Amino acid sequence: MFKLICKISWASLKRRKTRSLMVILMISLSLWGLLFMEGIYDGMTEQMITNAIRSDCGDLTIYAKDYRLERKITQLIPDHRALKRRLDRDPRVRSTNTRILQDGLVATAHYSRNCLIIGISPKSEKKHGQLDNYLIAGHFDFGRRNNGAIIGAKLARKLKIGVGKKIILSAQDTQNEVSAISLKVRGLLRTNNMLFDEMAVLIDQNKAAQMLSTGKGISQISILLHDEQALEPLQKELQARQPRLAIFRWDEIYPALLQGRVMMKGFNMVTNLIVFCVAGLGIFGVMLVSIMERLREFGILLAVGTSFRQICWMVIGESLVLGSIGFMSGAVLGGTTLFYFHRQGLDLSLFSEGLETFGVDSITYALIRPEYFLYSLLAVILATLISVILPLRMLKKANPVEAIHTL
Amino acid sequence: MFLKFALKNIRAYTKRSLVTILLTTVSTALLIFSSGWMNGSHKTMIKSSVEVYPGYLQITNKDFRESPSFDHLIFESKQVAKILDTTPGISVFGRRFESFVLYSTGPRSIGGRFTGIEPDTEPFLSRLKSSLKKGHFLETTDTGQVYMGIELARKLGVGVGDQLSFIGTGADYSFAADTITVKGLFQTGLFDFDATSAFVNLDYFQDIMAGDNMATHFIVLPGDKDNVEQLARTIANRLGPEYQIVSWMQSMSGLVRAMEIDSIFGYLTLAIIFIVIFFVIMIYTWLAVFARIREIGILRGIGTSPRQIFQLLLTESVLLSLLSIVLGTLLGGTLSWYFSVHPITFSGYEEQFKQYGLVAAAMPTEFAPLTILRDAAIMLILSVGSTLYPILQVIRLPPIKAINHV
Repeated sequence: MFKLICKISWASLKRRKTRSLMVILMISLSLWGLLFMEGIYDGMTEQMITNAIRSDCGDLTIYAKDYRLERKITQLIPDHRALKRRLDRDPRVRSTNTRILQDGLVATAHYSRNCLIIGISPKSEKKHGQLDNYLIAGHFDFGRRNNGAIIGAKLARKLKIGVGKKIILSAQDTQNEVSAISLKVRGLLRTNNMLFDEMAVLIDQNKAAQMLSTGKGISQISILLHDEQALEPLQKELQARQPRLAIFRWDEIYPALLQGRVMMKGFNMVTNLIVFCVAGLGIFGVMLVSIMERLREFGILLAVGTSFRQICWMVIGESLVLGSIGFMSGAVLGGTTLFYFHRQGLDLSLFSEGLETFGVDSITYALIRPEYFLYSLLAVILATLISVILPLRMLKKANPVEAIHTL
Repeated sequence: MFLKFALKNIRAYTKRSLVTILLTTVSTALLIFSSGWMNGSHKTMIKSSVEVYPGYLQITNKDFRESPSFDHLIFESKQVAKILDTTPGISVFGRRFESFVLYSTGPRSIGGRFTGIEPDTEPFLSRLKSSLKKGHFLETTDTGQVYMGIELARKLGVGVGDQLSFIGTGADYSFAADTITVKGLFQTGLFDFDATSAFVNLDYFQDIMAGDNMATHFIVLPGDKDNVEQLARTIANRLGPEYQIVSWMQSMSGLVRAMEIDSIFGYLTLAIIFIVIFFVIMIYTWLAVFARIREIGILRGIGTSPRQIFQLLLTESVLLSLLSIVLGTLLGGTLSWYFSVHPITFSGYEEQFKQYGLVAAAMPTEFAPLTILRDAAIMLILSVGSTLYPILQVIRLPPIKAINHV
């Protein structure tokens, strides 16, 4: 029976080729656009989040209690080595990384700016957030004597300096004394994490410890996880175990990025809703006319013993076939486009200055998520099913058997 | 005659006409409102960002923007001020001297922006004075008094009346340091700005930084804010090649470009919605035209030319489109006007806006009749265009085939 219904539906659609094609084209083109839009927008948002996680806070960040509020250099994590070792052994943890942080002033012969001094170990940063991938000039190391610094690209632009230039770093140490060191710029980083690119001066962790008299203490432990699902449980667990420390999720450190993600989801949902409602209206028109045109045909079918339920299935089948073909062609088109931009990236360098303002990469790599296709399929099925409800009710009211007697 | 027939047909096929009118009306209203919303929100974001501190026009030494060192200051600022005094089109102007220093309160030291401003003109050029939270704004007679961002004060652990010291480099590259007293605290809402900025009276700044008669830049408030570029050219002609005059469109080009790309993505989203609407109108026209195919066949059979049928069907389409677009324009225009008077407030996203340097959370739409007319014209083309294919298809059918069409 199912096969027969499909056959009849297909035959009916073939009989009115142009209008069927129009509906298919409508669904597939809109789906193509929607998939492209979702993949690119999500790609942009997720790249911003990834940039922040990799360059700064990790999935989880550990600070000394109240450090985030007061940002004093004396607020250090004591005994961080034991804690780091314990975290490294946790199967949920992919990697950990430590940093010393202090606000300071960076000066050249002619100009000075406030900055964030970050004491790092290049080897650990490479392994942890692959920070070296963000290098746009120079080297990702501090030279043989560790007298080098790697600085944010925007900060370098504001200071009008490049690789090889000398800078003076001044900051207050744990003894409340202002200490200063002279360094040579070894490399420039562009992470598109705005705060990092505008403020960061990366120096060797041992050198930072010496300059700021932090001894064995560090300011931050950043943790990357294997699975985002473990984020909240691990945070709670760590917080319970380490009441003297403060543990933050990335979205607590960068709430604007989370808001961006939520806003983008809402925006995509509203756009999808509008598109599928309008598309449903198109399918409704076609199905309504298709039913009304075939009143006599349905009357004959009823007269020869076909039940109304079977006729309903025929109409639904017809509508579903239309929707499915539209969905499949749209999904293939959209999927291929997304795959291309997932591999090659969408180059928006023309607008790089504007994108930089929002911390967006100038090459955006599209995301391909199975739920894009799943939700689209559900939306298409729902739109096709809803669009035949009214035509079927009208068919019932129209009394097709009587229609056999009409002209 | 065509008009009469077209009106009759529109009335005869009420349902199809209503769906087409509804879709086109909603689409037109959506396009007009979206354009108004995008333009309005972008202008508000830019305006609020410009007015917080950067200003509409900046005058610097010709080399300062490229190499912002003390070698490229405005060394004759009083002479420049005299020229600006006699330049038409300027509402107010003021001098600023910007530097970066290390602030210290004993237990805490933080690097930050240290700027000398003219307390009598600055309130007209920026929102610094209106952002006062505690204490008082600066006065022209102040010496050793600082007006500080609330976040910077919090980080340094100081309040109004407290003292702190600063260390920096003077205009002659000598060592500059002094102890200053917090006179007032401000909060613009831009976290970074509030966490890094402090201001003092320019006379005091010039004195302590050994920069008499010097300034890093002038800020100019134009009489007509829409004519900034013209004013920039006038000032450039008067000041000569030693100075660079930059409007907000250049000084904040990143934000301008960001708004442009936001518009592009906005129109891209609208385009996807319009593709569907285009097809739906086309489908409905197709259905309506083919429902009358026998009538059209008979018309052809009694001698009506395909051209006349095309004209008849096109008149129907144009009439329907015009009616819907007038309705849509009224609806979209009313919405744009209403929300330009009563801005939409995004209190939940205020923090996100601030993180990107945007102060305003209330976004009015733009009510611009010319833009509304442009959008209405686009919709008319789109709406009539979507009916062309079905019309062209039906007039191609031979009369006999059309009469016998099932």
